[in-house]
Amino acid sequence: MRNSIKIITRSAFTLLCAVLAVSCSIEPVVDPNGPSIDGVGEGASKGQLNELVTAIESTLRNGLGGASTQMGSMARELYVFNADPRNTGDVLGKNGIPLDPNGFYVTGLWNASYRNIKNVNLLIDAVGNTELVNDAERNGYLGFAKTVKAYRLVQLLKAHGRARIDVLDPDNLGPIVEFDPAMDAIRALLDEANTDLSSAGATFAFSLSNGFEGFDTPSTFAQFNRAVAAVAALYDGDSAGSLTALNASYFDLAGDLNVGPKHIFGLGAGDQANPLFRVASTPELPNNGDQIIVHDSWITEAEAGDARVEAKSALRPDPSSQDDLNGTHETTLYATNVSDIDIIRNEELILVYAEANILADNLGEAETALNVIRTSAELPVYSGPVTAEALTTEMLNQRRYSLWAENHRFFDLRRYGLSNTLPIDRTGDQIFNQLPIPLSENE
Amino acid sequence: MNMRKALCKQAMALVLFLLPLTMMAQGTIQGVITDETEVPVPGASVVVKGTTNGTISDFDGNYTITVDNFPATLVFSSLGYATKEVRVTGASTLNMTLAESVTGLDEVVVTGLASSVKRENLANAVATVSAEELVGTTGQTTVDGALYGKVPGLNITSSSGAPGGGFALRLRGISSINGNNQPLIIVDGVYYNNVEIPSGLRFASGANRGNEENSGNRLADLDPNDIQNIEILKGSSAAAIYGQRGGAGVIIITTKRGQAGKTKISFSQDVGTNTIANPLGVRPWTADSVESTFNAEERAKYEATIAERGSLYDYEDIIYGETGFITDTRLNATGGDEKTRFYVGGGFRDEEGIIKNTGFDRLTLRANIEHKISDIFDFTSSTNFTRSNSSRSFTGNENEGGLSYGYTLAFTRPWNNQFPDDNGNYPNNPNYSGNPIFVRDNALNEDSNNRVVQGLTLNTKILTTERNRVKLVLSGGLDYLANETYVYVPETHQAQIGNQGGFIAQGKNNFTQFNGQAIMLWNHDAMGGDLGLTTQAGITYLSQESNLVNSRGALLAAGQTNVDNSVNQEIDQFLSSEEDFGYFGQVEANYKDQFIATVGYRLDKSSRNGDPNKFYGFPKASLAVNVANLDFWNVEAISQLKFRTAYGETGSPANFGATFTSLGASNIGGAIGQSVLGSKGDPDVEPETSAEFEIGFDLGLFDNKVAFEATYYNKAVNDLILTRALPASSGFTSETTNLGDLVNKGVELALRADVVDNENFRWNTSLNWFRNRSEITRLEVPAFPQPGAGFGLGLGTIFIQEGKPVNQFATNLDLDGDGVTEPTQIGVAEPDYQMGWNNNITLFKQFDLSFIFQMKVGGDNLNLSKFLTDLGGVSPDLETAAGQARLSIPANGQRFLEPAGYLRLREAALYYRLPSATITSIFGDTVEAVKLGFSGRNLFLVTDYTSYDPEVSVNGSSGLSTGIEVTPFPSSRQVYFHLNVNF
Repeated sequence: MRNSIKIITRSAFTLLCAVLAVSCSIEPVVDPNGPSIDGVGEGASKGQLNELVTAIESTLRNGLGGASTQMGSMARELYVFNADPRNTGDVLGKNGIPLDPNGFYVTGLWNASYRNIKNVNLLIDAVGNTELVNDAERNGYLGFAKTVKAYRLVQLLKAHGRARIDVLDPDNLGPIVEFDPAMDAIRALLDEANTDLSSAGATFAFSLSNGFEGFDTPSTFAQFNRAVAAVAALYDGDSAGSLTALNASYFDLAGDLNVGPKHIFGLGAGDQANPLFRVASTPELPNNGDQIIVHDSWITEAEAGDARVEAKSALRPDPSSQDDLNGTHETTLYATNVSDIDIIRNEELILVYAEANILADNLGEAETALNVIRTSAELPVYSGPVTAEALTTEMLNQRRYSLWAENHRFFDLRRYGLSNTLPIDRTGDQIFNQLPIPLSENE
Repeated sequence: MNMRKALCKQAMALVLFLLPLTMMAQGTIQGVITDETEVPVPGASVVVKGTTNGTISDFDGNYTITVDNFPATLVFSSLGYATKEVRVTGASTLNMTLAESVTGLDEVVVTGLASSVKRENLANAVATVSAEELVGTTGQTTVDGALYGKVPGLNITSSSGAPGGGFALRLRGISSINGNNQPLIIVDGVYYNNVEIPSGLRFASGANRGNEENSGNRLADLDPNDIQNIEILKGSSAAAIYGQRGGAGVIIITTKRGQAGKTKISFSQDVGTNTIANPLGVRPWTADSVESTFNAEERAKYEATIAERGSLYDYEDIIYGETGFITDTRLNATGGDEKTRFYVGGGFRDEEGIIKNTGFDRLTLRANIEHKISDIFDFTSSTNFTRSNSSRSFTGNENEGGLSYGYTLAFTRPWNNQFPDDNGNYPNNPNYSGNPIFVRDNALNEDSNNRVVQGLTLNTKILTTERNRVKLVLSGGLDYLANETYVYVPETHQAQIGNQGGFIAQGKNNFTQFNGQAIMLWNHDAMGGDLGLTTQAGITYLSQESNLVNSRGALLAAGQTNVDNSVNQEIDQFLSSEEDFGYFGQVEANYKDQFIATVGYRLDKSSRNGDPNKFYGFPKASLAVNVANLDFWNVEAISQLKFRTAYGETGSPANFGATFTSLGASNIGGAIGQSVLGSKGDPDVEPETSAEFEIGFDLGLFDNKVAFEATYYNKAVNDLILTRALPASSGFTSETTNLGDLVNKGVELALRADVVDNENFRWNTSLNWFRNRSEITRLEVPAFPQPGAGFGLGLGTIFIQEGKPVNQFATNLDLDGDGVTEPTQIGVAEPDYQMGWNNNITLFKQFDLSFIFQMKVGGDNLNLSKFLTDLGGVSPDLETAAGQARLSIPANGQRFLEPAGYLRLREAALYYRLPSATITSIFGDTVEAVKLGFSGRNLFLVTDYTSYDPEVSVNGSSGLSTGIEVTPFPSSRQVYFHLNVNF
């Protein structure tokens, strides 16, 4: 008996030894599906930096479609008739429902912008921690990155009225800053970027897409930087600053209204299609699916003969209705699903120029600028009173038609305190003119 | 230590211990084992108590056993019969009658990785489902769908009524918020992959993510008819020996084995139909209501349609009203001799759905072989090949796809003709982006699976003596699944997302799993046989690899069905690989079947943890006291009284990828960019661990004719891995890390009884009742809506909040009237309790009547289908004042919350067994038995819920999505005719 126990013990011991010997060491798994974020933090190659640049330009488009349509709906520029009923419900405050701080129409632009900004911050960090670029190249990366970041922050302020500026450390985020100090920080960032660009040599060490054709060297990209600075200064109430910045930008009263950098689109893998394109109706096949319907007021309140109405919208073969909302016209703003979308075009800069001049009390100059816009829209020159008040109304109206569905109206009405002039289409609907801070910010 | 020397010693020991045995008085006992109706019981086991000496009855119930030493006690047992012990004093003939047992106290339950214990001695509430319980009543498509009402503590949710299923199994509540909630499934020792594979149809339908694509889970590849029995280790205390893969419980499936004796051939044929179980009907429109809902133009269209055809189009009936034909054919053979036993069989099931062009078919082939090489070695091999195909069409959530039927029907007005004209041109849907009849006739969503599952076990009896038996068990398994998905939307489909007509997606997905284990098992009889000790120790290894490739194309050439013939092509690939390694050891002690104690420990590491080489420990301990077996016990009526308690821990490693923070492609202008993704990983993530304490008692009365089982458990899940929302301004929208704890507490009761037992009327019944309450006990972050489980706080979502049930629904409400809304709990998906009531009645020996009622009381659903039908104006109740009043309520979660309790006749059947005299007179000796009958599944439903089925999950079978409905595939009622013939 004793013997067998011994044998058993020994056999078990032998097995255990054998088992311990085969105990395999598990190799740590490296993500087989994508590069690690830490890989660019130290000693990044130019190839890696340039992939970040491409990603920054690519993700600059993120959130664009939602922002333009949702805030466009809130500003009664358009309706979105599609499968998501919240586009005609929540967004218009149907039956008194408030905006959900966790709803897609609140988080969409915010999340997209900060992902874009995260890419920017990764690039800024990577450029500072690599020996593989020289100083001029480094300045080029930095000037590009900071300008994009500032542009994004301006968009966030337009939507939410406030934003977080310091987001370098994800575990220790800076405060959510009110509009005025935030705008000051953005303008300082733009100036910093402009300085970087001025000592970035003749060419960038990276290439941008065709969308930045004409704005793809440090000196020409600086014109875009100044265009953003002009817009930021205007929103900050600094008309002199805005006018100064305009002069260093591609603003040109006599130039092509469409000049300016653009978002470009593609249907390839990892690329994006134009989010604001909708299939145009034909008499045989009305688009009954995903539609952007023009708010009737934009059609009916247009000045007779305004060429922009016909260029940007078309009468449907049948009126469209959903959720007790109706519209006769649909969007034709973009011809195809890969049409470019302007980031800031000369047309907007001319309107910025007009507005800054009204604020600076150069009413004649403002009228001249507005007439450039009116003429381009095949309208007669301005004949109203040349007062700041009347010209402001005219300027806002031109902005309404020149920049339709480009996410301006929402903020224009708010900054001039005119949101309450919007029509209510259904009893119980509400006007929203500012998005709340998303729930996830734990404010 | 010198190996050869050891072997020599073992051989010596064997001789020494076997020698005396041969010198004692020997004698042979023989006889016939029959049941109470004098039918022979084949395969019954006869063992000399306290030894390993045993035999098995042959096909005619005959047995012969040589007893070495008289007097001895013979133990007769067979699955489904009560065990009997008889004392014998010398060689003789002994015929034995075994009584059928419904209490299941005698069945053997697996408790270790290589050991088992009689249910009577079990310290956990392990549920067992026999083949008869599983498929004996009615036809079953999938194993998970066949378990309804049969297992206390098991909550089943059907995420799709499509043929081939889509089921979520939850044992004792939610085990993980973000990680694995489906139990580990082990089939014949093989880790069985139960993955749900997305097809890429979301790129055509606009669904938000892969789990909204209405895919089935791949347990559907296992034929329920192949199963001998299922054991369910519900909680951590029972499943601890499975360590970090046992966190959500373990389902151990054993397939049918061969029986020695005459080769038996069994043929069965089921024929049946699928029809919609619970149609909702059409809104009883009037011309006035059409005008008030829409406008005068619509009224004119309505009147024109009424004038033309006298009625409206009933699109619900047109789409969901098909009668699907079901056939299920099976043929198997079992037989063998003392050395080799086999079970070979095949089955083919073909099932059409209630929507035209939907269906599921499955061909399974199985060969299970057991062979005794010598007294030392024996092996078991289980081989299963499955080819399954399904065509699931389009249901569930979408955005602009115009594909999902329910979504489309919500906006399809019943006076618009959607049928094609004589030239085959389908009219456009004037109110939505798709024509449902076009989609039904022309669009495809299919998958096919080729799967091989192979299990192999080699037993080596290293030492067998009177008191010690040492065995080395080497076992391994392979599960290889090659899945293909195919989605095709013709270029003529109305919705053309981004003006790209037509869509095609071809997925090729491979999954390879390998598991192996080596176990040393030592049985030792101490204290003169009064104390049995079973000790085991071993190692386990698991590796899983997957490679998912999906190629898609949009803008198709006319009529083409190949990705090549599309303009805009995209390919994505997902790779994963993971490895686990573990040690375990366990000691069970059984003192005279009176006190049974177990202690065990498992150490596991996994590549899915932050540190792949850090071991995590999972202990277990249990004690059962059979009071009725104690020497002083003399209460005749109480044949069993057992108190039991158990504690154990299990784990669940983070999902693959949780440790990574990676960049992903984001391209523009033909250049590749690498952008941060939304999710932030945690390189230090630890596994979730569950610690469960269970206590209960089993009571058997009147020779166990009545048995009652009660169990209370408290299962705490610690270090929950959560995907919490991050402040998006960090650049990340979510982070996956260890952030909280939750507790599940519950009670499970089961009552089984032979109510009536006489020659012409036998009735046995079993009733189970269970409840579970969950609570988040710790949350390191502010409460948050669970990503992917709902549509935001506006429409209602699962909301993770400390102190609340894990699957509570919340929505934004302004209860205090301050003008600011707060996330507010409005309901909970978890039911108050559930019950199953199972009955088997045998009349005049020839008729079997059985039925299962299943009831769920309490629990809520968010019925977002109604949101859509309200918007489209087609909800059936909109002609009533109550329906109209609903339209003016703000569209928040509160408006769509509905009670989801129900009572259902889940299964019912009536069978007739031909008397053997009749069979002999018709077929002679060639046919052994003939049985035929009718049955049904989902025969009736009583519920207040206003959609097709109160069981819903828009987000498939994983995660917490249960209870949220967006236009699912309606569930069906099945009716069958069955014929079984044994040769």
